[in-house]
Amino acid sequence: MKFLCIPCDVKMEIQTEGIMPEEKANLAMKFKCKKCGHSIAMLTNQFETEFVSKLGVEMGGTTDVSSSPMSAVGSSLAQAKEELKSTNPEDDLVWTEEALDRIKKVPFFVRGMAKKTVINFAVEHGITTIDAKVMDEVRQKVGM
Amino acid sequence: MKSYEDLEGDGGSDIVGQVGKLGEKLRSRLDKITHKVALMSGKGGVGKSSITANIASCLADRGKRVGILDADLNGPSIGHLLGVGNDVKLEMKEDGLNPGIGYQGIRIMSMDMLVKTADTPVMWTEEANATAVWVSTMESTAIRELLADTNWGELDYLLIDMPPGSDRIDNIRSLIPELAGAVEITIPSQLSQHIVTKSITKNNKMGVPIIGLIENMASYVCPHCNEEGKLFDGEDVLKLSEKKSIPYIGKIPFDTRVSQTSKMGSLFYTQFKESVTGKAITETVDNIEKFINK
Repeated sequence: MKFLCIPCDVKMEIQTEGIMPEEKANLAMKFKCKKCGHSIAMLTNQFETEFVSKLGVEMGGTTDVSSSPMSAVGSSLAQAKEELKSTNPEDDLVWTEEALDRIKKVPFFVRGMAKKTVINFAVEHGITTIDAKVMDEVRQKVGM
Repeated sequence: MKSYEDLEGDGGSDIVGQVGKLGEKLRSRLDKITHKVALMSGKGGVGKSSITANIASCLADRGKRVGILDADLNGPSIGHLLGVGNDVKLEMKEDGLNPGIGYQGIRIMSMDMLVKTADTPVMWTEEANATAVWVSTMESTAIRELLADTNWGELDYLLIDMPPGSDRIDNIRSLIPELAGAVEITIPSQLSQHIVTKSITKNNKMGVPIIGLIENMASYVCPHCNEEGKLFDGEDVLKLSEKKSIPYIGKIPFDTRVSQTSKMGSLFYTQFKESVTGKAITETVDNIEKFINK
């Protein structure tokens, strides 16, 4: 699927940095026209989202977060062993239970991007513990 | 206004590239495995996992390198049968998760190894309103990851212990097009045969080769005197295989020691291969190997 900015007649670019989908099984993607800067959001309902998820791919391209083995199983199982998550490079950051619960509710195929957005925000702001408040700040900042 | 074709690339997610990469990763893993065999039954409770474990034991006894993928995500039992408990320490490497090593060096991957505790169910969300479509999507993704992200290494055989029913075979077939075939397992009861018939018909329609039909719990063997007696009233399973034009590859008697031995640190076959049931397993594996190597 591609998006065209009609006034500029150019392809809108997916915004991988700044995606913060709702914490439920809905997809929210942001596209921006590089010429005029106009942004749009593509929002899908639950059934459209599930259809995309069947491909087993990640929206916005693969992220470091998703490239580790068993990433979908490890990040989607309600109660997986900790070792399954131990290869993620951002393990130095502490996630509170509440923040982990919230990120887990993001569909796996956009979770990598969502997580990356939160991590980048935390690193930029010198935050070492990610809690619900930080996630709210990120959401407010990226406007999704 | 520009059309779809006028705009270069895709929407920005490189979906085609990602699907290709997933396929390559799976292929590189499967290429190191010579034979892939699915063991299935339409009906639950026919002893499918015990048969799978003992077939694996017999193959390992013949010097084959064997792995088992426990595709029964919600009722995993292979780890339990082969001595790999939920408390196994997972070894995650950059290129994959190391399999559990069961009796006789049989390599295992099962959801039971991945969940937090032994009594944790496999749940993809703890929200009560999760849809069946979402759960099914996650199960397909999990099967692909268990296959592609496990460091199976070089194997002669990968046995796939399927869940009851025939729905998962579509998934396995698309992931492993070179599947050597499916072994169908039934017990003599009319109900079990009625359901396994559907599984056979489905495999025939899908072009999945059927290696043959195993009649499990065909009789009862006294562990003291080796006398055999009838266990179930039912129709002749041999007739079913003739009717469906598939080979009848094994008639395996029930032996109480099958369930006892896994608790004693080994599989039934390694301890009792000279028993009536042990010999029946040997013959079944002969037939499977004959089919595969023909």
